[in-house]
Amino acid sequence: MPDDAKLLDALRTRSPAAFQELFDLYSDRIFRLAVSLVADEMEAEEIVQEVFVRFFEKIDQFEGRSNIGTWLYRAAHNASIDILRTRKKAQTSVEIDAQEIELPMPANFSAWREVPDDAFDQNELKTQLNQAMNKMPKTLSSVFLMRDIEEYSTQQTAEILNISPGAVKVRLHRARLLLREYLAQYFSETV
Amino acid sequence: MECHDLVKYLSDYIESDLDEELIGEAQAHLATCHDCRVVLDSTQQMIFLYREQGKRSIPAQRRQKLFNQLQNIFLEKDNSSQ
Repeated sequence: MPDDAKLLDALRTRSPAAFQELFDLYSDRIFRLAVSLVADEMEAEEIVQEVFVRFFEKIDQFEGRSNIGTWLYRAAHNASIDILRTRKKAQTSVEIDAQEIELPMPANFSAWREVPDDAFDQNELKTQLNQAMNKMPKTLSSVFLMRDIEEYSTQQTAEILNISPGAVKVRLHRARLLLREYLAQYFSETV
Repeated sequence: MECHDLVKYLSDYIESDLDEELIGEAQAHLATCHDCRVVLDSTQQMIFLYREQGKRSIPAQRRQKLFNQLQNIFLEKDNSSQ
C-alpha cells in the first residue's frame, strides 16, 4: 500500500490534484472488490461513490496510523455485505463459513491451451473470468481478489476483510481450486 | 506424497510456504504425476490470467461522470467548511 501521509495532508487542503490521485489510486480497486461481491456494476459504482463521500467526511479526523487503502477497502467490503444481506437469495452464501466448504478436488486434468491474443478472444476470456468469479461463494471471491489479483499480503487482506490470516489462507486455497475447476473446461477445449 | 496431499498443499507450494521436506516430497510427486502437474500448471496460469486480464474497471464514460460528481462533492465540502 502506498505511503499515505503526503496524500492525506494534500487532501486536507482540498487539493484537486490530491483528489485526482486518490480517485486514480482507489476507484477501480474499490469497484473491483464491490463488483466481485455484489456482481452488479451499477451497485458497485454506487458503493464507490458512497465510500468516497464517507471518506471525505472523515478526512479531518482520519488518524495518521490508519491506512487510506485499508479504510476504503473495508468500507467497500462492509457496504457490499450490507447489500448482499438485503438480497434474500445471496444471504445464504454470504453467511457460509468458507472453512465449512469442502475442499474442491480437481476433476479435469487436461492441460490448458494458450490464450489467443486477438481482441475477440480477449473479450471472451474476460467474460469467462468474470463469470467464474461470480459463481464463487462471496467469502472466497473477495479473498481471491485481494490476494491474487490486487496482490495484497495475507495480513493486509485479513485486516481489510476482518478475518484471521489463517482464514485468508484457507479461503484462498479453496478459491484457487474452485476457479481452476470452473475454468478448466473452457481452457482445455481445443481451438 | 500422494495426489490428495499435493492438492492439500498446492497453495502453500505455490507460495513457497512449505518446509523443505514437504517441498522435496511435492517435487518428487510432481516429477511422476501428470495430473498433479496439470493442476499445478493450470492453477498458476489461472492466477496469472486473473492478474493480467481480470482487473475490471469502471466503464470509461461512467468513470468520468463519477469522477466529476465526487470532485464536486470534495470541493463543496471545502466551501461549506469555510
